Amino acid sequence: MLIQEEMDIQEKLRILSDAAKYDVSCSSSGVARKGKKGTIGNTLAAGICHSFAADGRCISLLKILFTNQCIHDCRYCINRRSNDVVRTRFTPEEVCTLTIEFYRRNYIEGLFLSSGILHSPDYTMEQIYETLYRLRNEYHFNGYVHVKAIPGADPGLVERVGFLTDRMSVNLELPTAEGLRRLAPGKTREKILMPMRQIQRGIAAQNLRALSDSKGSGGNVRRHLQDSSQTGRNFQNQWWDHQRQSAGTLDIRNRPSAGKREIGMADTIAHPGRNVWTSFQSQNRRFFVPAGQSTQIIVGATPESDYHMIRVAEALYQNYDLKRVFYSAFVRVNDDSLLPELPGGPPLLREHRLYQADWLLRFYGFGAEELLSEEKPNFNILLDPKCDWALRHLEWFPVEVNRADYGTLLRVPGLGVKSARRILAARKSAALDFPDLKKLGVVLKRAMYFLTCSGKMMVPVRMDENFITSQLIGVEHGKVWDIENHDSYRQLSLFDDCQVTALVSREDTVSALTGTL
Amino acid sequence: MTVFVCGQEVEEIWCGIYDAWMSRLGHENVRIEPEGRDRELFCEYREVAAEEWKAEKVTKSIRKKLSEELYEVVYRAALSEDADRADKIYRFLIYAFAMGTNVMDQLQIPAVYEVFRMTRYLSREYSHVIEFARFSRMEEGVLLSRIKPKNDVLVLVSMHFADRLSGENWILYDCKRKKAAVHQADRGWIIVRADSAQWQERLNKKTDEETYEGLWRTFHKAIAITQRTNLKCQQNMLPLRFRPYMTEFNKV
Ligand code: SF4
Repeated sequence: MLIQEEMDIQEKLRILSDAAKYDVSCSSSGVARKGKKGTIGNTLAAGICHSFAADGRCISLLKILFTNQCIHDCRYCINRRSNDVVRTRFTPEEVCTLTIEFYRRNYIEGLFLSSGILHSPDYTMEQIYETLYRLRNEYHFNGYVHVKAIPGADPGLVERVGFLTDRMSVNLELPTAEGLRRLAPGKTREKILMPMRQIQRGIAAQNLRALSDSKGSGGNVRRHLQDSSQTGRNFQNQWWDHQRQSAGTLDIRNRPSAGKREIGMADTIAHPGRNVWTSFQSQNRRFFVPAGQSTQIIVGATPESDYHMIRVAEALYQNYDLKRVFYSAFVRVNDDSLLPELPGGPPLLREHRLYQADWLLRFYGFGAEELLSEEKPNFNILLDPKCDWALRHLEWFPVEVNRADYGTLLRVPGLGVKSARRILAARKSAALDFPDLKKLGVVLKRAMYFLTCSGKMMVPVRMDENFITSQLIGVEHGKVWDIENHDSYRQLSLFDDCQVTALVSREDTVSALTGTL
Repeated sequence: MTVFVCGQEVEEIWCGIYDAWMSRLGHENVRIEPEGRDRELFCEYREVAAEEWKAEKVTKSIRKKLSEELYEVVYRAALSEDADRADKIYRFLIYAFAMGTNVMDQLQIPAVYEVFRMTRYLSREYSHVIEFARFSRMEEGVLLSRIKPKNDVLVLVSMHFADRLSGENWILYDCKRKKAAVHQADRGWIIVRADSAQWQERLNKKTDEETYEGLWRTFHKAIAITQRTNLKCQQNMLPLRFRPYMTEFNKV
């Protein structure tokens, strides 16, 4: 395929952003870095969204492909080799100039650079490296950068890129190895997990070193980091060691048993994502992937259940220390007999439920096993996963607001991380009543069935599953209708995708989380 | 009831609070109001003279006797668009001085909740402004952005951009209050009144930005997934009132 390099920059940008849009990750969160004299840019821990596209998704980064040329032929992908589309590529300078000029005008928070595989994984990764190297060192860009690690690229290259970027991601794409074999013949599970493991190890080694070095030095985590080249060598050694031990399998059997997670255990069962890599650079020492890594799973291209999906997500959080798993409702861009038809359009409601569940895993102390099971493998269409869970565990409720511990409060539908914390703080000075809860941000129309204030319920209710279910479905009904009809659902919940992207980028790493699931 | 009438700038609010407090008429017998309200019968009205030393006394005692955090809270509240913010801050301070520094935990107390509500609203708007403000380049290479916030967030927004775009010359112009933050590369920034004819002329000069504004519109359009079009969601996340100031929503 002929790559058109002499194309007008506007046309290139159109093609290469159009081709990048199916990657749903968009947050610019995870690292707080002050501005520095002689450079342009800073980053905020919570990230910033700068605009919203016509599909309601947040625009935070200049999301582009380096090239839409690709040697692979993944069935679901618009850029696959067998598609007859115009191919082009940026030069590193073009990417740098666009990033800087957009940033200066406050259009974007930074760069999200992905790419098709041009010639080989190594060649592609080298181009990405060169672009980032220039952006950081010649254009002095100090803002946010997210890049893809290309599966199959030399680990040394991946590592060097890791010292220039804030976040790195490798897309898992499909939840099973079998799905990959069918739909992405050029990829294997092992190849995808390898760089993921490498990045994880790199971050872990850096943290470990920072922590041990900081002992006895006034707790300054950052000051004592080795310079990058040396740290780099160590990473690589460890990485090779690890590769010999395990071929990077994704072990979803290694999960906590459902029985161990009991409601109302300690506060510690849930805490918002904290980041110890708060600075990307100190005295010119760079940090390795300071904003952590993320991945993306396509929802609905293959027949896995929701249960399978969240088990995979849980395993990724536990075994690969991912910051985020993104879910991308499958959009059928290629007419291919191996792809499902999806007459109703992309499975947005399903994607929405998965995001909700993902939040429960990350911030609310839930385990995948509590939410779904082999017997009940898919989420309730009519109820969000937390309400659904609560209704199946009415024996835990109602919960007394003035006594319950943090973990227990988090289990109450209509109560989020932020409101639970506010309750803990406020009840120190006085017993709380229902009008107070409203001020603290509790969504009473959901929470009222599950709470007492000083022993009283808001209105007398029977703890009867059918009754409460019908009430809650009433609350949820409009929302489900809206999702299915591509309407206004997103404003109604903090947990749907567009709110999630906005919210996550704003608040993912900030301790104050709004959540009213 | 004695009513203290004061101006709307932060310093003037501190002065209002000072006068009301020091009048020793009893907190329940005084009220602080902005200028220009209808006057009620049976009230005594006193104009508050804005003087620096009063403002300083108030801020000093908040910072010393309460905390820096609470000072930041009331400072932000004083930037709010709420017309009764001075009186609300006054009520809050009465409670805070009585109860100590943990007051922000006690949202069930109306005086605390009001200040919380004002600052929450202000913080949301602040976030929106730093997200949606757009700069464009004027002739001499100066970046210009027009904003029209409901709350007086110009100072906060300028702090954000001073850190981020420290090497650039830029102007942030608040169309509603006709004042501007002017930043000089690697120097710093000041806030100036910008209602003179000279300023208006300068601000209205056309910027020469076709290239990058065109590129940005191209990107903004291409990045949306057609099969997921959801204009309502877009509008919920990005309210229409910001759009007149945003490059991507300006038709050329
Ligand atoms: S590797 Fe597969 S998914 Fe990635 S660009 Fe190439 S064809 Fe598309």
